[in-house]
Parts: sequence; C-alpha cells; structure tokens
Amino acid sequence: MSEKRFLNGYDVVLEACEDAEATQMFGYPITPTTEILSGWINKSLQNKNLHCLQTEDEVAAGFAVCGAVMAGAKAFTATAGPGTVLMQDALSMAEGMRLPFVALIGQRGGPSSGTVIYSQQEVNLSIHGGNGEGMRIVLSPSNLEELYSLTRKVFNYAYKYRFPSILLTDGYLLKTRQSFSLPETKIENQKLLALVDETSQKNIRNIYTLEKELMSELEKNKQDFDEMSKEIVEFEIYSGDVAIDDVENLVIAHGIVGAVAKEAVDELNKQNKKVALFRPISLSPFPKDELNKLAKKIKNIFVCESSLGQLRDLVKQNLEYEVKISGIFKPAVGVEAEEIVDLVLSNK
Amino acid sequence: MKFKILLAGDGGQGVQTIAKIVSECFFAKNFEVSSIPNYGLEQRGGVSLSFIQVSDKQIFYPKFAKADFLLLMSEQARERTSEHVSADTEIIDFKNYQEIILQNKISRSSLNIFFLGVIAKFLSEKNLISKDDIFVIFEKKLASKKNWEENKQVFEMGFLI
Amino acid sequence: MSKDAKFCMGCGHPIILQNLYKILKNNKEDQKSVLGLDIGCSLLAWDFLQVNTFQTHHGRVTPTMVGFKRAKPEALTFAYTGDGGAYSIGLQSLLWSAKRNDPVTVIVVNNSVYAMTGGQTAPTTMKNQITLTSPVGNSEEPIDGLALVRAVNKKAFVARTAVNNPKQLQEYLQKAIESQKEGNFAIVEVLSYCPTSWKTFGIETNNFLEGLKNVFVMGEY
Repeated sequence: MSEKRFLNGYDVVLEACEDAEATQMFGYPITPTTEILSGWINKSLQNKNLHCLQTEDEVAAGFAVCGAVMAGAKAFTATAGPGTVLMQDALSMAEGMRLPFVALIGQRGGPSSGTVIYSQQEVNLSIHGGNGEGMRIVLSPSNLEELYSLTRKVFNYAYKYRFPSILLTDGYLLKTRQSFSLPETKIENQKLLALVDETSQKNIRNIYTLEKELMSELEKNKQDFDEMSKEIVEFEIYSGDVAIDDVENLVIAHGIVGAVAKEAVDELNKQNKKVALFRPISLSPFPKDELNKLAKKIKNIFVCESSLGQLRDLVKQNLEYEVKISGIFKPAVGVEAEEIVDLVLSNK
Repeated sequence: MKFKILLAGDGGQGVQTIAKIVSECFFAKNFEVSSIPNYGLEQRGGVSLSFIQVSDKQIFYPKFAKADFLLLMSEQARERTSEHVSADTEIIDFKNYQEIILQNKISRSSLNIFFLGVIAKFLSEKNLISKDDIFVIFEKKLASKKNWEENKQVFEMGFLI
Repeated sequence: MSKDAKFCMGCGHPIILQNLYKILKNNKEDQKSVLGLDIGCSLLAWDFLQVNTFQTHHGRVTPTMVGFKRAKPEALTFAYTGDGGAYSIGLQSLLWSAKRNDPVTVIVVNNSVYAMTGGQTAPTTMKNQITLTSPVGNSEEPIDGLALVRAVNKKAFVARTAVNNPKQLQEYLQKAIESQKEGNFAIVEVLSYCPTSWKTFGIETNNFLEGLKNVFVMGEY
C-alpha cells in the first residue's frame, strides 16, 4: 500500500516530472505555476542531473524546450494564462516539426490578465492555439492521483508519438494540499531519441515552398495522430449504482469539475434521475466514439465547466446525434456539486 | 462528516503558518483534508485566506461557500470573507480579543500563534482533535525558530482564554 | 560541398555559410556542429550545408540554440539570423542570451532590410534609406546591436565584418567558435549583399555595402 502524504498539486507535478526522468526545465514565473519553476530549481540543487533556466519570457522558454528536445533531453515548461498565449509560437513549431514538447498549463481566469488562480478557459488554446490543425495531446486531471499519472503520460506520449503534449490543469488543483499516494504499479519511461546528433546529418524545415508538400506532410501527421488516438484516448463514465443502459441524462465535465460532478451524480441517482457522468480525460484526442455510444440513447446533456462553453463546443464538434444540451458555464469560477444537482433537477 | 474552516487575515500576519499547522494536524489524525491558500491579486500585503476542509470522505473541490468556522485577524479580512458567513458560522473575531492582547502584551508577530491556541481550544471542544495533537505539529514546525518560548506561552494563553 | 543555392544571384548568405563550413570541416567539427536558422532569407540555408541544420521561428533561433546547447554541451551551436531576427523581434532573447553569457555563437547577416518579405524597414535600415515601409525614407537611425550586446556582456566575442572581407570574416568566425568553446557568448555581425532588395547591379552592390561600412563600425567591439 503506497504511503499517504499531504502534498500540494505542484509538489505532485514536480515529483512526476522527476520520475519521468525529465532533466531540463525552462520557464518564466507566472501565477499559478510559479511554484513549479522554483520547485524544480530547488530540486536541481539536490540532484545534479536536473537543470533549470528562468528565461526572459515564455517565448524563449518554449523555444528552449524545442531546442533541448531536439538534442535529446527530456525538457518541459510550465505556464498559465497570458503565458499560454505566448507559448503558442513554440507549440506551433513543435506541432509543425513533430517535437516531443511537454507543457504543464495551470489555467487561470482569462482573457488577458484575468485572475491569477483558476478557470477552465484554456481548452481552446491548448488544442487549437497555434496556426495549425490542433494535433496536440491534451490531458485533464481531476485529482492529485491523476495529476501525477497524467503528467507521467504526457511525457511518455510526447516521446512515443511526437506531438506536443499538454497537461491541462488549473491553479486550484496545483495549490490545493491533499492526501496523495503514488500509484501501486510502477510506470515505465519512454525513451527519447535525439532528433539531431553527430551520428547523422539532418536538414529539418518547418516552412515549405510548395503548398502540396505541406499538405502531404500534414496528411501524414494526421494519420499518425488518428492511429495514436485509438491507443491513448481516455475518459471516465460514472453512473454510481445505476446501470449504464438505464442512463437518460449525461453530465459532461472535465478536470476538478469532473471530480465534483461525481458527487452530484450520486445525489441525483438517489433521486432516481438516472444520470451518468461522462468525463473526458483526454480532451485531445477527444473520446468521440465513447461519447456517441452513450449519446445515442441520452435525452439530455448537461455540460458543466468554468468557461463560457469551451468544453460544450468540443462536445458539439464531436457529437453525432441531436441531443438537447444545456449546462453550467461559469468562467473563472468553480462549480459545486449542489449547482449541478439543482440544474438537473430543474430540467424539464 | 465535513467541517469547513476559513482562516483570514492580512498578508504578513502568518495566516498560512497556522493554516499549515491545523491542516497537517488533521492529516496526521487520518482525516481527509484539503487546504488551499487564497491571496488577493497582490502577492504581498492584501488579504491572506486559507480554506481548510476536513472530512471522512474524499474532497473534490478546494473551496466552499459557507464556513463552519471563521477566524478573522483583520478588518480587511472581515470584508473579504463576508460572503462565506452564514447564520451557522462560528466566528473568532480579533476585535473581541483586543483587550486580552493588549493586557498580555502579545506581539504582532505572535498574534497568529495566539489565535492558534484559540482554535485549538475550539476544535478540541468539538472533539475533532486534541490540544496535544495540535501542539505536536506546532512544535515540529516552530520549535527551531526564534521566539519559540514566547510562542509557546502565547499558544497557552490562546488556549486558556 | 552544398546543393544548388536557392539564394538570389549575388546574395551574401552563401559566402558566409561556405566560409563557416570550411572552418568547421578543417577543424573536423562539422559533425558536432548544429546550425539553427531564423525565418528570413536565412531559412533558405536549411539544406545548404552538410551540417545538421534546422529552421526555427522568426526571432527565436537564439533561445532554441540555448536550449539545445544546455541539453548537449558538446555540440557546437550556431544561431544564424538576419538583422530582423536578431535586432527586432529577437532582440530581447539575443540580449538575454548575451547577458547570461550562454555559450552559443550568433551570426547576424545584416543587409539592412527585411528581404524575404519584400524589402521592408529593418532595425539596421539607415536614416533616409527608402524601403517598402518607409517609401519617403526611413526616419529613424539604425541600431548598433553589437554595442547593446557588449553593454550586457564584457567577456563575449563581439565583432562586425563584411562578406567582401573574406580574411576578416574567417578570422572572426574562428574567434567566435573559440569563444563558445571557452564557455562564452559570441556574436559576429556580417554586412552582406542584397542586390535584390537594394535594386543594385554589379559594382553598385559592392558600393552599397561599402556605404554600410560608414554607418556600421567594422572590427572587434
């Protein structure tokens, strides 16, 4: 039985990065991810294999990560809000050049400087913030255990599939201190091969003269992305004591709102509402097939998020059936179980 | 069972220090605990809050609407926390302790420890944790710091009020 | 040694690149060298030399090479950029890399215009010079990027030369490489030909370059 410890989210993330054998961090201080930067610096004082550079801005941090992974070092950055906006330049290059770029994003209120602590408003940015097709891996944890395991996955997926990989969390989960236990089974680390080294000569571009060349490159990437999706798409369906075939109402939420929604599902099913929670864990690739399998027989979908509809729009994009969609949309503000219960109960 | 504690004061008054002691104490007694600090936008000065939840079940969301227990260490804190007060909230208000603080010459820097003692009394009366439970963590964290003797005394004072 | 150039006729890039390659090959350091390119005409060098080469983004080549070097200190890292990538969009990162004394070597190809995008005003466009975005003449003085670098770093190798000073070009590139090996930042700005943007022919191109030397001081800083 793993030992229980009382840890902050950012402690858990740092531990996961170290366990993933990351060696280089480049970052710029921004709330609520600053503790990851200072925490990694402290780790590097104890462990000579770890390195950290506070760069002049997020743009430089992102490009330094690109350079480092090309050289074969497991590198990552952490940012939030306005920093996530700046990070798009480097993320786009990583997307275009298939670089195993790992970013830890702690969502805060937006747009602009917004608030310094919490939101679920960087979903669009994380997936589609670049000038490309959104071929990025985005995972959303709902508690400390997932914060750990999904951070490990983000590193492994980046190295196995070579798409920029983002752990999309928020300031609440990062700053909350709760009990945490490491997973029982050991997670193996994927090897990272240097893209550029002295044993071969490579000439790598990200700009094309002929449009068709770019198109064919992207079609290849899309093929890789779709094949990968089958292997890594992740979600949770929770219906408590109700059989999944009897479910009539679907609550859809991710991250900590997803965790809160489970409480609501239990309460609602006590009142015979036949509710299930569909919680996408991978926002990209989105668990489209599983959503539609459920949606086929559902009467109502309730999307609950701390944004004005970024998750809802993702759901709509992927939904193949006509289902009534309503929900709770509270940008930058948390959602509590009672609100979800009230919403479903008041639905006609 | 779920108990919601909100500690509030000005930045610099040491709210986070006692929040850590209280939350670690509950964790040591095998409760499910969740604690999150909430500063104002200003990282320095401004208000410093700590939301602590104690339960026998997993806690999913770090904040709460209404506190069961509220510690107020400053006026600024009062305004900032009014939305978390209900008719059932039990409040420890620094205003009610002004005289005692003056009489016993409790220094500004030990004020938070004084209130730690008050909290310890309150929580032990609720049979959630004992004075010793808190003292163990308190000692672990602060015994090596300067003013330990003063802090110990001030903690006692708070407990005995 | 290299593929057919995609560079314009009379461009200075191939001169600089081939000189760089000659040095690396002679020192048997071509295999451990890594050439990062900014986005501008420098991007055309992506498959030009038999050296590991990759494009980056406009203004971002220096921090990319900083990351690479920190991950692989044995590599010889070069950040190859134009005056825009170095002194405009990339100025912040350039100065910070110099301030940190990152052991990377920056090569700035200065032709005083944004050539790849058609000839707009650059940080190094001279006063009164006519460009696409200053059709009645540039109203600002050009920037001396090397002076800025020197202001934040006393140890780095900082120098300016030109494509029509081949001996000096070789000397400075060599010194810049040495500087990296000694653990210091290095920057070489090379005044370069751009007959396409300058709309010059034959000897006029060389004359224009000589004119740049009146504004941009040659030599070591």
